[in-house]
Amino acid sequence: MYTRNMQSRLLVNLVSLAMFLSFSGAVLAVDDGARAYWKGRDGTQVVSFQYLNLNMQATDSQQFDPGHYIYPNSDTEANIFIMNWARHMTLLNRPSSLSLNLAGGSVDIDVNTSSAPPQFLPSGVGAGGSFRQSSSGYADPSAQLDVNLFGTSPLKSGVDLLNYEPTWTLDAAVMLAVPIGEYDDDKVVNMGLNRWYGRVALPMKYHFGVFSPGYMSSFELTPSVWLFAENDDFVGQKLENDPLFQLEAHLTNDFTPNFFGSLDLLYRSGFQSKFNGVEVGDKLDIGDFGFTLNYQVTDNITFRTSYTSNVFGDSDLDSSLIRMQVVYGWNQASENLKKLRQGH
Amino acid sequence: MSLMGKYSFISSALTLISILGSVLAHSDDSLQTSQKDNRPNILLVVADDLGYSDLGSYGGEIKTPVLDQLAQEGIRYTDFYVSPTCSVTRSMLLSGTDNHVAGLGNMGELNAPNQVGKPGYEGVLNKRVASVASLLRDNGYNTYMTGKWHLGLKPDQIPHARGFDRDFSLLVGGGSHFDDQWNIEWQIPKAPYTEDGLTLEKLPEDFYSTKNFTDKTIQFIEEGRKDGKPFFAYMAYTAPHGPLHVPDDWLRRYKNRYDEGWDGIRNQRLIRMQELGIIDKEANAADRLWFLPRSTSLTPALRVMLGRKMELYASMVEYMDDQVGRVFDYLRMIGEYDNTIIIFMSDNGAEGNDLRGMVAGRVGSLGFLHAMNNFAENSHNSLGRKGTYAEYGPAWAQVSMTPFRLYKGLVAEGGIRSPLIVSGPGVKGAGELNKEAVLHVMDIAPTLLELAGVEPPATYKGSEIAPMQGKSWVDMLEGNTPSPRTQNDWLGWELFGNRAIRQGEWKITWHYKPFGTQGWQLFNLANDPGEQYDLSDKFPEKKKSLIVLWDDYKKKNGVVMGDRSPFEGANKALPDLVTESDNYPPVRGVEAIPYEKFLKLLGQ
Repeated sequence: MYTRNMQSRLLVNLVSLAMFLSFSGAVLAVDDGARAYWKGRDGTQVVSFQYLNLNMQATDSQQFDPGHYIYPNSDTEANIFIMNWARHMTLLNRPSSLSLNLAGGSVDIDVNTSSAPPQFLPSGVGAGGSFRQSSSGYADPSAQLDVNLFGTSPLKSGVDLLNYEPTWTLDAAVMLAVPIGEYDDDKVVNMGLNRWYGRVALPMKYHFGVFSPGYMSSFELTPSVWLFAENDDFVGQKLENDPLFQLEAHLTNDFTPNFFGSLDLLYRSGFQSKFNGVEVGDKLDIGDFGFTLNYQVTDNITFRTSYTSNVFGDSDLDSSLIRMQVVYGWNQASENLKKLRQGH
Repeated sequence: MSLMGKYSFISSALTLISILGSVLAHSDDSLQTSQKDNRPNILLVVADDLGYSDLGSYGGEIKTPVLDQLAQEGIRYTDFYVSPTCSVTRSMLLSGTDNHVAGLGNMGELNAPNQVGKPGYEGVLNKRVASVASLLRDNGYNTYMTGKWHLGLKPDQIPHARGFDRDFSLLVGGGSHFDDQWNIEWQIPKAPYTEDGLTLEKLPEDFYSTKNFTDKTIQFIEEGRKDGKPFFAYMAYTAPHGPLHVPDDWLRRYKNRYDEGWDGIRNQRLIRMQELGIIDKEANAADRLWFLPRSTSLTPALRVMLGRKMELYASMVEYMDDQVGRVFDYLRMIGEYDNTIIIFMSDNGAEGNDLRGMVAGRVGSLGFLHAMNNFAENSHNSLGRKGTYAEYGPAWAQVSMTPFRLYKGLVAEGGIRSPLIVSGPGVKGAGELNKEAVLHVMDIAPTLLELAGVEPPATYKGSEIAPMQGKSWVDMLEGNTPSPRTQNDWLGWELFGNRAIRQGEWKITWHYKPFGTQGWQLFNLANDPGEQYDLSDKFPEKKKSLIVLWDDYKKKNGVVMGDRSPFEGANKALPDLVTESDNYPPVRGVEAIPYEKFLKLLGQ
């Protein structure tokens, strides 16, 4: 029968608030990722580094990925590095985040030109032959603003974070890419797209289970539309594309307080190409399925890996994407609390 | 609706359908039953660790509309006493005599070495007493028990063997409120439940203590009412005893209600208690306990974290109130409500001790292993759910015990004062507040026997039994006298070596340091219910006379002062008692009544 001073135990609990909840930001060429729109405390900043390896074999004319044309009878390999910075904040009294992406890397493509539209062939390459091209450098940087519309109160303080137990949430996100990436109009494959493009998304999610580390689960759905300006110098011609409709879904579940997994689905449709005003090739119809594993190593560092593969939609595309990511996040208030506990 | 909520709803609906069907079926049976015994039914509702000021009718902000309505129909009493802990109170409740006679001289789990084997220290309701249930059963009552027993585990010690025809009981002192059934005592990891005297292998998957105890109470009454006998139903809820567990649908019922901290809530309760007349405006309430910080000195985040525990507690209390309402509704439906004496009380002061710490023990102990296996999850949003162990600590316990000092386990008013509501046929003065009566839990058994027309026997089953020490309330309930006790009558307590005597408005206490001085202190409860000012020097003769009564109490009841006490080390675990400093100002935000002014109030 005794009474213990509670404060020491409570201080330990307070430190658990140091967790940052998420990072966010659309990344060119891949989905946003599981738990991309989970909210962090106001002022939380996140830097992430991703490595992507994309392998694709196409047997018919297709497009994939915003802005890139896929050549039939081609093999593509891309190695991309992406740096993302995001900051969680409050905008119009709503929890929001601003993120910036900078990508770079290389793309190599081997094309058998027998089925390729002649308009999409580089100069000097005729039908029935083959060509190989490579491109490397920076891609177009992009910025995304995400604002919660429903389901989450502003997370300005530790108190707000303690009271944060979301169920349904709905966000609005706008992304814009700036065409300053590497672009060579002699090449059919470039890191930059030589045109403005962007995306409007409505990320929504439903949280179930206890909103507590180790017990959290979510179903996340992000319908979005990509819009593209014209590229007026695609191998010397004008390239236009219809909007690309995208549906991204994740079913996530905590395995332990530091470890969650997700089943990932990405479906894309639209993006009909027009070359000098004339439709070329088919519109896009691609469905990818995969999984993500995410492990939080420390309060600040998280490792994530994912694998996706084309499993439905057009049957003549075989693609796989491997992603590895390290995330570093911090919040000054939480860092200060840790310092105090450590006696600094 | 959560999964658990859905199951609860379905279960409740099925119960209601079953009862409605049964009521219709019994409408024909009523012609065939033997002549109805018109003696009153008795519904005795005991909450576990409920605080004095938690109910709305006692000044609490917790929503308790059912019990508040009961208070309007019956009478509230301000000076009702129980023991500092649960099993001890229960032994007196059922036996009508002192705990040192009935077998709970100490809690069975905490007997000191020199108490083991001594008469009165069996740790179970012993055979020197007959339970009121046995006496009522033998005299024509159907007797039912649901909830916490805590008076023995062996076949001849369990409810079925001590007078209850039907039971659905938790035999031990506490544990999970859900179906995972872990026991608060690691020595018996799985909490034992019995139904009608048989051990239950497992509980239903949707089990939640308060709901299932209510279901069973209704079921027992329904199944037994064909024979026309009155019933005695002892509904011993395990709420709001820790761990603070709440059904999912009720988890956030008080979300952020307590973020302002304990001082503000306690102030508000004090004001309401004064408005309700529970305490006098001039009465000196206890300061915030000396080892607790001023709540406004805590960060908002910490207040939210601490407030969450009080939220859970409040939800448990309101849920219990709601379930009591189900029983009342059922009694109204079968036409028995108006012929039922209803008594509502708590078993001891609110829990301010670190019971979780005691259960979990230290790293490497079996208790710690028990905690690892059963209630390791305690993050902010998990608290209150299955697999967690939250308790609200001494600061909120003192709020629950406003205006008193200290809490469960101690003989200060905060450990032994309980709310009491009595209602039913023959109870005069609906809605009144009785501040004159000094009542004790030992009184309940002789009261129930008198209501049932049963004379307390001198022997039971051929053996002499201890006489009941409690005083029947029947005269008081009928409005013939304000109290069953005179100013010369006195009450005594001893547990864990802490001891007290109350006579009239005077009280002496002896507490281990730092809760007391390890010497006798004298308080005047009429002016100082918070037991703030030791008047030993001013009234040495009064103190001396009460110490004489203590000696009498000790001798009369065979008290064996333990050579060990769980409170022995408290002075090392807590800071020294200081009444006031810059960091620990008085709880009310104003100065405590100055000593000189206080003496003037006493006429000195």
